[in-house]
Amino acid sequence: MPGNSAVKVEHLTVNYDKTPVLWDISFEVPPGKLVGIIGPNGAGKSTLIKAALGIVKPLSGKVLFFGRPLKKVRQRVAYVPQRSSVDWDFPITALDVVLMGRYGRLKWVKWPQAADKEAAKAALEMVGMLGFAHRQIGQLSGGQQQRLFIARALLEEADIYLMDEPFAGVDIATEQAIVALLEKLKTQGKTLFVVHHDLNTVERYFDWVIMLNMCLVKAGPTAEVFQSDAIVRTYGKSAVLLDEAARLSQHKASGKK
Amino acid sequence: MIWDALTDPVLRAPTLGSMLMCLASALVGVIVVLRKRSLVGEALSHAAYPGVVLAALFTALFFPDSEDGFAFIILIGAFLSALLGLWTIELLQTKFRVKADAALCFVLSVFFGCGILIASRVQFTHPLWYQKIQMFLYGQAATMTDQHVVIYGSLCLLTVLFIALLYHPIQAVSFDRDFAKSTGIAVQWLEGATFFLLVLAIVIGIRSVGVVLMSGMLIAPVVAAKQWTHRLFTLFVLSALFGTLSGFFGNYFSTEIPRWVSGKFSLPTGPMILLCASLFCFFSLLLSPGSGLLSRCFRIYKFRRKCRQENVLKAYWKGDEPDASRFFLWILYMQGWLRKDGAGYHLSPDGRHRAAQIVRLHRLWEVYLVDYMGQGVERVHRNAEEMEHILTPELEKELTILLQDPKRDPHHQPIPGKEGL
Repeated sequence: MPGNSAVKVEHLTVNYDKTPVLWDISFEVPPGKLVGIIGPNGAGKSTLIKAALGIVKPLSGKVLFFGRPLKKVRQRVAYVPQRSSVDWDFPITALDVVLMGRYGRLKWVKWPQAADKEAAKAALEMVGMLGFAHRQIGQLSGGQQQRLFIARALLEEADIYLMDEPFAGVDIATEQAIVALLEKLKTQGKTLFVVHHDLNTVERYFDWVIMLNMCLVKAGPTAEVFQSDAIVRTYGKSAVLLDEAARLSQHKASGKK
Repeated sequence: MIWDALTDPVLRAPTLGSMLMCLASALVGVIVVLRKRSLVGEALSHAAYPGVVLAALFTALFFPDSEDGFAFIILIGAFLSALLGLWTIELLQTKFRVKADAALCFVLSVFFGCGILIASRVQFTHPLWYQKIQMFLYGQAATMTDQHVVIYGSLCLLTVLFIALLYHPIQAVSFDRDFAKSTGIAVQWLEGATFFLLVLAIVIGIRSVGVVLMSGMLIAPVVAAKQWTHRLFTLFVLSALFGTLSGFFGNYFSTEIPRWVSGKFSLPTGPMILLCASLFCFFSLLLSPGSGLLSRCFRIYKFRRKCRQENVLKAYWKGDEPDASRFFLWILYMQGWLRKDGAGYHLSPDGRHRAAQIVRLHRLWEVYLVDYMGQGVERVHRNAEEMEHILTPELEKELTILLQDPKRDPHHQPIPGKEGL
């Protein structure tokens, strides 16, 4: 039934070249949830988000937002990439980075207007960074850079937010501030997906979890699925075998010895 | 007059042509440098060379009389050849898993080598055409005509329009490709168009500066401009300005300098243009207020002087004899940190306050190193000697809270209190 779920993933499989990264992932998340995506390194957490956003092309399967493909609802989906994925020496100010949140709505050759700039400042204020609007981004601390990316996503005024490790390399105070912001967005009915590493805080932060290790281990309400057996399966050795087989298959396919 | 270069019937076309070419390449250069693809320009300009040679040969064989068509056929030849180079680089990287730098070097040397090989043959079969090919090696602006100016002008206009209209998508894709893609910007289309413009800029440029120096014209104006600004828009404008000026002065000096020394020789335009661009680069790296060498040296000097001053004040505070010249002490006296007292100097109230503050920072830092970093008591003094000049008031505040405002340092010396804290 379309409309009942915010995000529905159906049999999603993603390969890098011949190497599978995600195997046949299917799950459904209702709207208004704060969802943690957890799993060990190389489990395909970032890839899941990138595939959902069309940045990486999946081999098969599909992702539906509110029952519709991404192309129809692109403006209702916002993305917060990993902080380490960009060059922070880039000649751009904080305000201009946030303004990028509006680029998706601008027609090809249109420049952002005064209203867009005001909205960008409001977004900066929401993450407590209005005072840094005209700083070159390289002068910001790690936590500030992360908040900048979140402000940019806020400006997209989406209903679904996909965030790749927003807590990586930020101090505790910033993490708390971000969590409070996420809670606030949740009460406004937004659905938020957060790639997360710290198992200690999973139960406190998220009311829904997706446990991933190349395959989907479990997905559902935190209280139901975040149990020790599932955690062991997510972080355990069972996936190492799959990983090794995938590596061998890639070597054979490309003719390496 | 210097502006005669723009009106003189002989000099006009080469000067305008070089300026337009430098403008286009400086603008495209900004995108290339920001994407960290500087070497691509070098590889593609060399890859264009065999195309030039073959196009000249083609003209020699089929249209030996067409003087007008020659410029155009050469452009097409160079363009196709550079595109083939670009495609080879892509192929090497994706299909054969060659690293980017190796693929670039491979294309550069193989294409350029082929070009030279064919050219050396053409030298014997069509010596007249060989002359014309040679000018693409190091560039020769002097023989440009109004026809060139029209071609370069329109290609230049295309570049300016592209960047002006698509400024924001270009910015987004250059800064954060994945995010740009997630907002629905046609990233692949934009990147394809950028490469198209890059190849165009190179093909235009090799006529004035030659395949060997072309990549310099992509990079040098951008490097110079980058020293002056932290904004992309200004970067585009400054880079275009530096590029255009290099084009102008390169031409100007290549005709003027021989006149000054009254010699009957001519200076090649291409190297002169690049030398001008390098001068812009050099002075920017030296003089720019933010990251220029001079301003950095000045800041280092100021910091060192601050350290020395603070060490002298500290010595007075402890009652030691300071190790400083009379002149240095006199400056401190004039600044109000010291007071004159018959035989010598002693601290003024302001000086006493500042010295106590330095000692406080020093001893706080020692406590921090010993208590929190587990350093041995005897080893922390040296590090604290440096940090006392660096710690900011904010850090001091945090240290005070973290250490719960200690009264004594690890050597059991008293820590001066923070008045009004």
